[in-house]
Amino acid sequence: MEQFTTVIGALNVGFYQTLKLFFVTLLGSIPLGLVVSFGSMSRFAPLRWLTRTVVWVIRGTPLMLQLYIIFFIPGMVLPGGSPWPAGYSGRFLAASVAFIINYACYFSEIYRGGIQGVPAGQQEAGLVLGLTKRQIFFKVTLLQMVKRIVPPMSNEIITLVKDTSLATVISIQEIIWAGKAFLKSSHGYSGLMWPMFFTGVYFLAFSGVLTLLFDALEKKLDYFK
Amino acid sequence: MALLEVKNIEKHFGDTQVLRDISFSLTEGQALAIIGSSGSGKTTLLRCLNFLETPDSGTIAVRDKVIFDAADPTTQLEGEVREKRLHFGLVFQNFNLFPQYTALQNVTLALHLRDEGNKHREAIDDRGRELLEQMGLADRAGHYPHQLSGGQQQRVAIARALALKPDILCFDEPTSALDPELTGEVLKVIRGLAEQKTTMIIVTHEMAFARDVADEVIFMDEGVIVEQGPAREVIGNPREERTRQFLSRYSET
Ligand SMILES: Nc1ncnc2c1ncn2[C@@H]1O[C@H](COP(=O)(O)OP(=O)(O)O)[C@@H](O)[C@H]1O
Ligand SMILES: [Mg+2]
Repeated sequence: MEQFTTVIGALNVGFYQTLKLFFVTLLGSIPLGLVVSFGSMSRFAPLRWLTRTVVWVIRGTPLMLQLYIIFFIPGMVLPGGSPWPAGYSGRFLAASVAFIINYACYFSEIYRGGIQGVPAGQQEAGLVLGLTKRQIFFKVTLLQMVKRIVPPMSNEIITLVKDTSLATVISIQEIIWAGKAFLKSSHGYSGLMWPMFFTGVYFLAFSGVLTLLFDALEKKLDYFK
Repeated sequence: MALLEVKNIEKHFGDTQVLRDISFSLTEGQALAIIGSSGSGKTTLLRCLNFLETPDSGTIAVRDKVIFDAADPTTQLEGEVREKRLHFGLVFQNFNLFPQYTALQNVTLALHLRDEGNKHREAIDDRGRELLEQMGLADRAGHYPHQLSGGQQQRVAIARALALKPDILCFDEPTSALDPELTGEVLKVIRGLAEQKTTMIIVTHEMAFARDVADEVIFMDEGVIVEQGPAREVIGNPREERTRQFLSRYSET
């Protein structure tokens, strides 16, 4: 029992890091994704192609590789050395930047689909009724975009829950890192296998809660087609 | 006096010319039908009138006031275009109702947004209900578009266009997206509007309807007006060979 309490305590500390990375990533990538999506729909072709190339590269390479690159490469090429502060806070910052960029690119494609998925006729119907562009956006198209965006966003966000564990490659002390530590030795225990497997319960519970939340949101938007 | 005077409208999309020297006028209280095969430029013409497309040349005047002149950019200022659009209403082929609003909300949205301070909230809703009743949809006010049949949706769209009291109500093939058994209810509503002397421009493939309801008919082909005249004459007894060919294709199918 004492072992259990100790392990749960340690896992909770790790899970706090998991949650922190999760929410920081969402906070950064949800708005950044919107900026990226505007870039990828720009009427200025060079900007459009540049943005789409970046999105293609980010979506086409593993997040784990991006974590390594963002953490190590700047220190190797910049004359002033690594821009990341020393220690854990620097690693966490690097991980956050990598996650935010990666997820912003995924979100941007979802936004683009949502925005372009609203038929042009909706905008035109608003125009012939004398609405301003602003009114059309807020009163006509926005909710239709949100409705299109919610299901793919919820998929992506649940993937993010699990992706946070990748940050362990640059020694972010998230929950799997905390569980694995009991294999060697942690909090006076060593050779414990079960804490690592037990982290799965945390992931299941968290993604379960998110699934319920998103299902409720989708239901709320179900009143129109 | 002509309510609407369209002069020498030309429109290109890239290298293709879609409208050539389109001129016509419309008297208040009259219904004008525009017929012609697919691709002849009918939709583009309606879109020009509603400022959804900008003609390359020509003028549009309502009640002798020029509201659009291709040669005069001051007639095309964005803020003013928004108000000028309200001379016209447009009923789209595929309705374009706002899916997240009920039938009543679709009809009243623009009125509510123009009602600063929400002073006339109830009067606007009453007007919306009245319009829906006129369309035979009194019992559908609280329904969302996806809960309505195509014919009902199109009638809501007509009520929505009427809500702003346009001088001229334009219809772009209002029954083409409907199942055949639903066209009747929509045509009946338009017929009712004609009887009330609503000024209308109706693009349609319903030849019998155009002949019976419209005062004037324009036959368009490849971006030009080939023939124009009283509805019974143009459809019943066309002067131009091209009109005759077009109409004979219609009576066969
Ligand atoms: N936005 C556009 N860009 C390029 N060509 C267009 C556009 N809209 C219409 N056209 C072309 O203009 C011609 C007339 O189209 P339209 O006005 O829709 O004809 P109708 O309504 O009589 O069928 C067609 O050849 C069509 O392909
Ligand atoms: Mg058309």
